[in-house]
Amino acid sequence: MRRDRLIRSIALHALMLPLALLFLAPIAWMLIAATLPNAEILAAPPTLLPGTHLAENWRDLNDDLNFVRVMANSIGISVIFTSVATLIAAMSGYAFAKFRFVGRGVLFTVVIAALTIPFEVRAIPQYLLVARDMGLANTWWAIILPWIAYPLGVFFMRQNMLSVPSDLLEAARIDGAGELRIFAQIVLPIMRPALAAVAIVLFLFQWNDYFWPLLILSQKDAYTIPVALGTLVGLTRVSWGGIMVGTAIATLPFLVLFLWLQRYFIAGITAGAVKD
Amino acid sequence: MTPDPAPRRRPWRRRATPYLFLTPFFALFAIFWVYPIAYSFVLSFLNTRQRPWTLDWDFNWGRLIQDEYFWNALGNTMLILVVQVPIMLAFATLLAVAFSSDLLKFKGFFRFAFFAPLVLGAVPYSAVFRLIFNEQYGVLNYALTAIGLPSVSWLYESTPALVTIMIAMTWRWTGYNAVILLSGLQSIPATLYEAAKIDGATGVQRFFLITIPMLRPVLLFTFVLSTIGTLQLFTEPWLITTTGPGNATETLVTYLYQQGFRSFNFGYASAIAYSVAIIAAIFSILQIRLVGGREVER
Amino acid sequence: MHRVALTLLALLTATAVSAQTLTVWVWDINKPALESTVESFQEMHPGVDVVVEDLGNQNVYDRGLAGCAAGGLDMPDVYLVENNEAQVFWAQFPDCFVDLTTLGADELRPMFPDFKWAELTVGDAIHAVPYDSGPTAIFYRRDLYEQAGIDPADIETWNDFIDAGTQMNEAFDGNVKMGAIGKGSDDEWFRMLANQAGCFYFDQAATEITITQPGCVQAMETMKNVWDASTLHPAGWSEQIQFLQNDAQASSFFGSWYSGTLIANMPEEQAGEWGVYLTPALEEGGVRASNLGGSALAIPASSDNPELAYDFITNALADEENQREILFEYGLTPSLLSLQDDPALEQGVEFFGGQAIWEDILGTLGDVPAVAGTQYFQEAREVMIVTVNDYLDGEYASAEAALDAAADQIAASTGLPIAD
Repeated sequence: MRRDRLIRSIALHALMLPLALLFLAPIAWMLIAATLPNAEILAAPPTLLPGTHLAENWRDLNDDLNFVRVMANSIGISVIFTSVATLIAAMSGYAFAKFRFVGRGVLFTVVIAALTIPFEVRAIPQYLLVARDMGLANTWWAIILPWIAYPLGVFFMRQNMLSVPSDLLEAARIDGAGELRIFAQIVLPIMRPALAAVAIVLFLFQWNDYFWPLLILSQKDAYTIPVALGTLVGLTRVSWGGIMVGTAIATLPFLVLFLWLQRYFIAGITAGAVKD
Repeated sequence: MTPDPAPRRRPWRRRATPYLFLTPFFALFAIFWVYPIAYSFVLSFLNTRQRPWTLDWDFNWGRLIQDEYFWNALGNTMLILVVQVPIMLAFATLLAVAFSSDLLKFKGFFRFAFFAPLVLGAVPYSAVFRLIFNEQYGVLNYALTAIGLPSVSWLYESTPALVTIMIAMTWRWTGYNAVILLSGLQSIPATLYEAAKIDGATGVQRFFLITIPMLRPVLLFTFVLSTIGTLQLFTEPWLITTTGPGNATETLVTYLYQQGFRSFNFGYASAIAYSVAIIAAIFSILQIRLVGGREVER
Repeated sequence: MHRVALTLLALLTATAVSAQTLTVWVWDINKPALESTVESFQEMHPGVDVVVEDLGNQNVYDRGLAGCAAGGLDMPDVYLVENNEAQVFWAQFPDCFVDLTTLGADELRPMFPDFKWAELTVGDAIHAVPYDSGPTAIFYRRDLYEQAGIDPADIETWNDFIDAGTQMNEAFDGNVKMGAIGKGSDDEWFRMLANQAGCFYFDQAATEITITQPGCVQAMETMKNVWDASTLHPAGWSEQIQFLQNDAQASSFFGSWYSGTLIANMPEEQAGEWGVYLTPALEEGGVRASNLGGSALAIPASSDNPELAYDFITNALADEENQREILFEYGLTPSLLSLQDDPALEQGVEFFGGQAIWEDILGTLGDVPAVAGTQYFQEAREVMIVTVNDYLDGEYASAEAALDAAADQIAASTGLPIAD
């Protein structure tokens, strides 16, 4: 019986390990390419060991763009967006999960339906609104504002808020606590894991978003990382090494963060999925 | 089951509370979702090919029905949906079962390996895949020829280009779905498996008789999510194959982008956008009916 | 006169003016090219900063659209536009760019050829000033041709090109191709060959779709013959650069501006190994000239300094000395008529093995049939990219069948009739 288990366990690992390595291979290759000169990135046979060109590639990247400034934009935008959007999603999720009110079903259906509308439907009118009517082109707010109402966040938060014990809320109300206080001092603290999970999802979304920032940002100093990398591909002198350094910078923090906060990442993804 | 007992004290404030909590969200939602979506709807009935724009009810919608390129884009999108999504979900289910098995050690490492693709942004990931799938100098063809297989023109022939897109999507999203399915597996009571074991059911039988039926709602959820994602597919064909060769990897949304932002035809682009929305809406109704319905009423 | 006035004004309000900045949106090699003119511009307007930004070709167009759609918002002071794409802007957003005649552009008219103006003017209004042209040529690697035993002087027609390609394949076991085509990603080959045959998507006045005319059919067939002989890599813009860098491609068929791309991208070992020969003819004794691309500079109506922007443009584009430098340093072919017989053109170019390539290339300009991109350029191009790809893949019985299908599709998207 035990031997049988051992054999099956070994077989499972023999299957999973190559698969796992296959999935990691593109990322590993990206990190290697970041250290190679341009000519070696695309050459037959391919170079599979790290080179010594990392510093040059970084210089290439920084020559074309002020990449430090670009990173500052990405971090600033993502942090502000994530904090505000998470709070607003939590408020709405709480209302949907813990209150009965006229219009709840309709409003929630509207939020879910919004999930299915491709962004491109909104792109043109939204551009006119944000750029022309609000005059916000090339600012952080142009990127942050349109996405703060983030339906997926509301959906996730509602699913999680369902688990807040109603008795607890009722007890607080009987003690005379105001609704805002209940939310801030009881609901938010017990929801901390869910908040972290949703925050991670929102942060990842904003950090990687490409299409909208591409439309609304035209000044180099306002670029976010994806926009900056995207423009590099279109330049005459295509510096793949530089692009790979940029992608590594855009990606590595999350790989490290993921190893560290795996639990929350996974909770964020599953938050909406299984409460049946 | 009511979430709250009937309000007694401060009934007015109690009744207003949920609306106050919802106000910030719906204020922004009205400005940045409802208004642009409605405006686009109007646009889809305008002839925007030339200035000034004029109202012409079936100008764009009539063209849509007859437009071979639209049908090609729809066909490609559906093909990816029908082929890639089931393969990915089957793969994700098996992965989830493996993750939940106590035979597997180093679970953290394996989760990391399959989930890591998700943290890569669209632009970095596409740049990397373009290089890997490069016909002459890509690592992939190098590996294929090293084990005696022929090299493939991944980006410049129709079928391989579609396959490239599907491989890329599978690489990026399998781990994500596996994680969702894993949480579904964990909510299946262990007693079910124990009872089946006592009855002498084999592992395969247990998988098909317990795991799959119990996982059905979650599977359906991942299916709906993937369907909506696929209907909105843009990044991969846009950046990896540049919708080519020709329009072999054109999708509904890349076609929309071409019409709106390359040809300046906002009206037609809006009509395409709404056709995507209509198809997606059908799936979201399914979702609410089949998965969310019971819950919303809880 | 206004220049003097402006200079005076500049002196009087020194502090305010010192903060003045002109922003210029360009792509690729145009950045260093236009930057080379800044110094002479600043002699005219001391204290004015010029920022030339390379946004990439597609981005400049996409953002120009977005900016104009928003009513001229967030646009630069000087905007670089492809000639072929220019008419979309004038038609869709007539108020987005300054009518340059209000700044004195009428005096520029005789300085540039009429065919360059065709796409840049609407009635009496001038919306942009011609910058470079794109007379086509074949750029080739002397060493690779020599190793394969090919003499470029023998390549007079596309059939000769195919024969040379076969010879190239034999010499290098198919590892080095004669050229590359952006199959499925662009239709440049079709446009270059069709232009050679005097055919284009539309007629000059954009009233009819002319893509089913005999010249276009001939272009399609020629292209397919070249492709079927396995002489070309299928490769997009950046793949092609990689092939060239890796000695896997012996020549490139493009507009003259590609010389700048080569100089900027090729490894040092290749310097001096390059050469140029004229575009092969479609038939014995046929035209050996065509045009691909070329661009112009415009001033968005939202610019705070249209006069300064205009001075920047005239200084860069209508000044012989600056244009000569742009040509020799950056490989961009001037449209300025007075430079067409410039003795300096006889000068050899080091990168091209001392060949006087500009004399050769510019000599063909007079033979280029004029076309207008029209406001429907992008629609037609998207359709032709697909049609060319499918035709090369053998999905149509004939070139006529392919072009008929393309014409129907273009008619559906533009509403124009198909010419008989």
